[in-house]
Amino acid sequence: MSDYEYLIHTTDLCKSYGPHMALENLNLKVKKGATGLLGPNGAGKSTFLKTMLGLIQATSGEGQVLGHDIRTEGPAIRSRIGYMPEYDALNPEMEAIYQVKYSGELLGMNPTVAMSRAHEVLQYVGLGEQRYREIGGFSTGMKQATKLACSIIHDPELIIADEPSNGLDSVAREFMINTMQNMVNAGDRSVMMASHLMDDVERVCENMVLLHKGKLAAQGKIADLKDIDREIEIHVWGNASKLEEKMLSIGLVVRREGRIMRILHESEDVTTKILACAAEVGSQIRRMHEYEASLEDLFIVIMENLGYEIKTSEDLLRSPVHARQVDAPGYMGGGS
Amino acid sequence: MDEQTTSENPASADVSFTESTPVTGQGRMDAAWGSRDGDEAATAQVATNSASVGYVFEQVYRPWNGSLNPRWMRNWAILRHHVLGIFRKGHRPWGWPTKLFMVLVFIASLGDVALTLLSSLIGSPELHAMWGVNRDNLYGHVLGFFPRNVLYYPILAALLVGGMISEDRNHGTSALYFSRPISRFDYLMMKYISVAMIQAFVVLFTLMIYYFVEILAMGRGWAWIIDTFPLFLAAFIGGVMLIITYTSIGLGLSSVSRGKFFPGIGLVAIVLGTKTLAILVSNLFERDIMYLLSPYDCLAHVGQALIGTQTTYDQYSWTWSFASIVLMNAFFLYIMSSRVATMEVTRE
Repeated sequence: MSDYEYLIHTTDLCKSYGPHMALENLNLKVKKGATGLLGPNGAGKSTFLKTMLGLIQATSGEGQVLGHDIRTEGPAIRSRIGYMPEYDALNPEMEAIYQVKYSGELLGMNPTVAMSRAHEVLQYVGLGEQRYREIGGFSTGMKQATKLACSIIHDPELIIADEPSNGLDSVAREFMINTMQNMVNAGDRSVMMASHLMDDVERVCENMVLLHKGKLAAQGKIADLKDIDREIEIHVWGNASKLEEKMLSIGLVVRREGRIMRILHESEDVTTKILACAAEVGSQIRRMHEYEASLEDLFIVIMENLGYEIKTSEDLLRSPVHARQVDAPGYMGGGS
Repeated sequence: MDEQTTSENPASADVSFTESTPVTGQGRMDAAWGSRDGDEAATAQVATNSASVGYVFEQVYRPWNGSLNPRWMRNWAILRHHVLGIFRKGHRPWGWPTKLFMVLVFIASLGDVALTLLSSLIGSPELHAMWGVNRDNLYGHVLGFFPRNVLYYPILAALLVGGMISEDRNHGTSALYFSRPISRFDYLMMKYISVAMIQAFVVLFTLMIYYFVEILAMGRGWAWIIDTFPLFLAAFIGGVMLIITYTSIGLGLSSVSRGKFFPGIGLVAIVLGTKTLAILVSNLFERDIMYLLSPYDCLAHVGQALIGTQTTYDQYSWTWSFASIVLMNAFFLYIMSSRVATMEVTRE
């Protein structure tokens, strides 16, 4: 079944709409598992998804999804993936069971088999008791679940979910995220999840692809990418400026936000150096802990400082230290 | 037992009953209702919810190892979704006005069949001459202006095409089609055939019934059939052209809209409005050429020529009308295909 090395593999993929480059020299290698597709509005996420579905032709470059060429094998790709659109894609006058069944029939499933499978997937997404209700009366969470059921009715190898938790309340969002996790872990399916909600991506996905202005800003394991910004956070009482100067003088990389400082954790003896500096200038360190950047921090760092010159986590790690700095906002005493 | 104490109940431990104790009914009240029992306890019993919120079932992903059928099965699914929706639950939910109107039009279209049967039953040659199968009546069954092409067929077509494409755009269900291995051509073609099939059920199926009832009721032989079958075939072709033209115009309008009202009203307005305009221009300026803008007039002209009845616009060749029909269809098919080509998967 897996006659391919990567789920998605693109080489110098470009897509332009007239003079506007929607995708520019995209070189991607997405492995099996859960991958988050991140990027601000206009980054090219939708164009990327449509290109991967084989719905629009790439201007140049090559791409493969599940081993199929995106230029010539669009129908084969769409048979093997499940796409969950961001916006409403359901007929409000239909009952959920028939809508899901029809979505299976549109893939080529026998009507009887599609009906049987529709029961299964609606049960799976938590709508077992609601399946004979009209979709028009559903809440946003139930509609999202129905869309997910439509996308997994044929047990696809790859599920592309566009903003699956968008607009959901906390309970529905939790359920959706758990369902995604369950599909990846227990179901052994691959998921590509486009989302603006960093927390959700972080919980479901181990890999991420970050697009910015049609270019690849970063790709790799989320854990690796977050490692680049590992810092130690200290809360200082007294002589904070002196402590900062002292630490800078011995070569530590320090970011300061008032009495809170973050020091780049680039070697094992950083904590010893910090304590030594504090003892020397007479500062009290009230609190010291490892500060792990969230995906949101990482997103901001890459977007604001690294731009799209960075291609992979290795490139990110090789980038100069100053490029990884995030200045504190002006109201917190930041420089820029 | 001359003295009873309720030592088991601490709340009533101070109450004792002797021979001189007045009968107040307190003991019975306590026994019946426990009115003093537990009143001293100032704590409420609250039911606790032992069920965990959000997980009321075990979520188990079940794989599916079946195989998917090829293209024809997907197209068949679209067709049956739309056509069976008229008759059965679980497919496209057509509105009840559409279903009701379709039944009424179907029954009304069988009016000539009923009168043919009646004429054969009572043996009335006058009635049969008026309603039985002949050149003019075959034409009239399909292309007659009033009532069929004023009250029946255009309105039925309008009800059918109304939301056919526009609702996919409005509800976003286009994503359901195009994120699956369904091409725009297949999507459009199956929707087109679906609408055409439902109209054919009313227009052409009743024409066939009309012809066969004449054969059976009047006991027609092969000679009559050989004589009249070309006429029936011409009427059938006229009906096919009518259905194709109404469907093209209707779906073209549906593809540029997001609701079902505009395409429906638009179709009726085009069919009846252009006809009215042609009549007005003809009466005011004695120029008939405007009929070329009217889909119905052009269809009628070609139909009359095919069947061989007296043509309304005999000063013009029927080929002009045919060319006009082809152009109208081409125009609306172009609009339809270009609009469907722009239907989005990611957002509308």
